Amino acid sequence: MSNNDLIVHIPDEEPHDLHNQPTVSVFASSIDPKHANQIVRRLNQIAPLENLRHVKRIQKKVLEGGQIQLSVVLCLAYEGGDQLYGVPSHLQELINSYQLSPFITKVCKYEATSKEEWQEQCKFWPTSYHPRTYSIEGITGFSKEDSQSVLKFMQSAVELATSDGLVVNAAVIVDPSAKQIVSTARDLVFAWNPCKDDSCYRKPDLFSAQSISNSLDPEKPLHLSSCNHLKQSYRSVACLYPWQWAEQQSHSQSSYYCHPLRHAAIVAIESSAARDRHLFPNNEGSREKYLELDHESPSTSSPLKRQKTVKDDKLNGHSQTSNHIEDGDKLNIHSQTSDLLSARPYLCTGYDIYLAWEPCTMCAMALVHQRIRRIFYAFPNPKTGALGSVHRLQGEKSLNHHYAVFRVLIPEEALHKCHT
Amino acid sequence: MTSQETHIFMELAIQQAKLAMGALEVPVGCVIVEDGKVIASGRNRTTETRNATRHAEMEAIDVLLEQWQKNGLSMTEVAKKFSNCSLYVTCEPCIMCASALSNLGIKEVFYGCSNDKFGGCGSILSLHLSDAVSPNKGFKCAGGIMAEEAVLLLRTFYEQGNPNAPKPHRPLAHQTTT
Repeated sequence: MSNNDLIVHIPDEEPHDLHNQPTVSVFASSIDPKHANQIVRRLNQIAPLENLRHVKRIQKKVLEGGQIQLSVVLCLAYEGGDQLYGVPSHLQELINSYQLSPFITKVCKYEATSKEEWQEQCKFWPTSYHPRTYSIEGITGFSKEDSQSVLKFMQSAVELATSDGLVVNAAVIVDPSAKQIVSTARDLVFAWNPCKDDSCYRKPDLFSAQSISNSLDPEKPLHLSSCNHLKQSYRSVACLYPWQWAEQQSHSQSSYYCHPLRHAAIVAIESSAARDRHLFPNNEGSREKYLELDHESPSTSSPLKRQKTVKDDKLNGHSQTSNHIEDGDKLNIHSQTSDLLSARPYLCTGYDIYLAWEPCTMCAMALVHQRIRRIFYAFPNPKTGALGSVHRLQGEKSLNHHYAVFRVLIPEEALHKCHT
Repeated sequence: MTSQETHIFMELAIQQAKLAMGALEVPVGCVIVEDGKVIASGRNRTTETRNATRHAEMEAIDVLLEQWQKNGLSMTEVAKKFSNCSLYVTCEPCIMCASALSNLGIKEVFYGCSNDKFGGCGSILSLHLSDAVSPNKGFKCAGGIMAEEAVLLLRTFYEQGNPNAPKPHRPLAHQTTT
C-alpha cells in the first residue's frame, strides 16, 4: 500500500450504495438512427429532462453482427402509488409520427459522485459524469511528497494525543505552503488556566510552535516519544465524550480549572489567533502602518523576521534571505515587510488541521468559522463526529465556507505504540 | 416565565449587541439568566480576537465557568447550575454554539432572529433536539423574540460595510497588485 492510499477523501455527500443507487422510471423507445437528431431536438423542446440533466437522452447499443440500436428517453414516467400513468398526451404526436413503441425503464436519479458510481449507473442507462473541480488540493490525489508530509503531520497529532499518559484528542494547525506548524493543542477540558491577558499566550505560543516545527524535520521520521500503557480507554477524548466533563471529580484545590468546551481544535484555533495577533499586531491592515511599526519598534519586528527566515530557508533551501535581513538596508526591510503583509492570512485561510479523532459538531463548526482549508483526521467518531459520521458539515451548502476532509488510515495501535 | 420578562431579558441582550456594534463587531449579544437574574452577558468579539469562534454565547459561558470555579464549585455542581440557566441571544445560536450549549446541558434558549446560514437550533441543524445516539438531552428553544430589532442591527452593520473586516478582504490578491 502506497502512502497515497492511506489518505481517503471524505466526500461532501454520503456516497450511495454503489450497487443500489436511487433510480427513477422513464418512458423510452428504440428509434431509427436516421431520425435520432430530429427526435432529440424535438424532445428537448417539448419534454426537457429538467431534473435529470446527468441522464443522456440516447442509449446506444451495439448488437451482435455490428448492428447499432438507439433508444431515447421520452420523459419521466410519473408514478402515482403503484400505478404508472400513460405517456403524456403532448408526446403522442411525436410517438405516432415516428411510430415509436414506448417502454418503461430505469435511470439513475442523481449525478454520480465518483467514477465507480458512474460506471454502475451506465449499466442502467448512460449518464454523464463530471468529476468535481475543487480548488482544494488533494481531492484528486496527493503527490508522493505531499502524502509524506500529510502522514508526518498526522503522526505528530497522534503523538501529541498520547504524549501525556492520558489519551486525549490533539490538533495540529499547519501552513502547508511553508510546511510549518502554526499551533498545536491537546484537549484542555481538565486543565484550563483562565487567562484573559494576551501576554500570557504570546511567548510560549511562539516558542512551542517553533520548537515543534524544528523537531519536525521532514527528513527525520517521527517517533512516538512516550511509552503509554496499553489499551487505554478513550473516555478523556473530548470530541468522543463531550458530556463526560460533568461526571469528573473536581480538583478544586488545584491551580487549574475545568472547561467543558476546551476541545483540542478550539484551543488550537485560539492559539493560532494569538499567534496572528502577535505576528501582525496592527489590525488596520494598511501597509504604511506596518512599515511605521517596523521602523519604530524593532523589538516587535524581530521575531517576525526570525519566523520569516525560518520559513524562507525551508522553502528555498538556502540562507540568502537571512543574509538580506542582516544587511538591514531599507530596501530589504521594505521587501521583507511586504512579504509579511502578503503572508498574513485571514484567520486560518489556507491552513490545514490534523486531528487524531474526527471532530464533534462544535469543533467542526469552529473550523468552518475559522476558515480552515483541509481537515485530516485519523480515527472516526461514530457517535458525535460531524464530518461524515453523524453530521457532514463539509456538505452543508448554506455555510459560507467549505473545507475538504480526509481520513488518514493510521492503525489504532499507533496510539499504544511504544518506541524507544 | 412571562412574555414580559422574556422581553426584558432580550432587551438586555440587544444592548450587548449594540455594544458589539459600537466596537465594530458583528452585532450579536446575549445574557444568561438563573432564577430570574442575569448572571452573565456576552457579545461578539471575533474581530478583536481574530478568533471567529468568539461568539457572544462563548464569551458569556467563559465568564460563568471562571466565576463558578473560583467560587469552588465542582464540575457536578457546575453541570447542575447550567441545567438551571436560560440563554437570551439576539440571533439563533450557530451550529458551534448550539452544540456547545447542548454539551453544557443548558435548560433553555430564547433567540431573536433566525440564522439561515449557520443556525443550529432548527435552521440548518437541530442540535437542541435530543437524539437516540448520543446522551444529549437537548434544550428547550424559542425563536422570533424581538426579531425585528435584532435584524435591524445586523442590517445596519452590513449595510455600512463591515468596517473591521480585514482590509483588503482578500489580502493576498490585493496586496501583490498595490
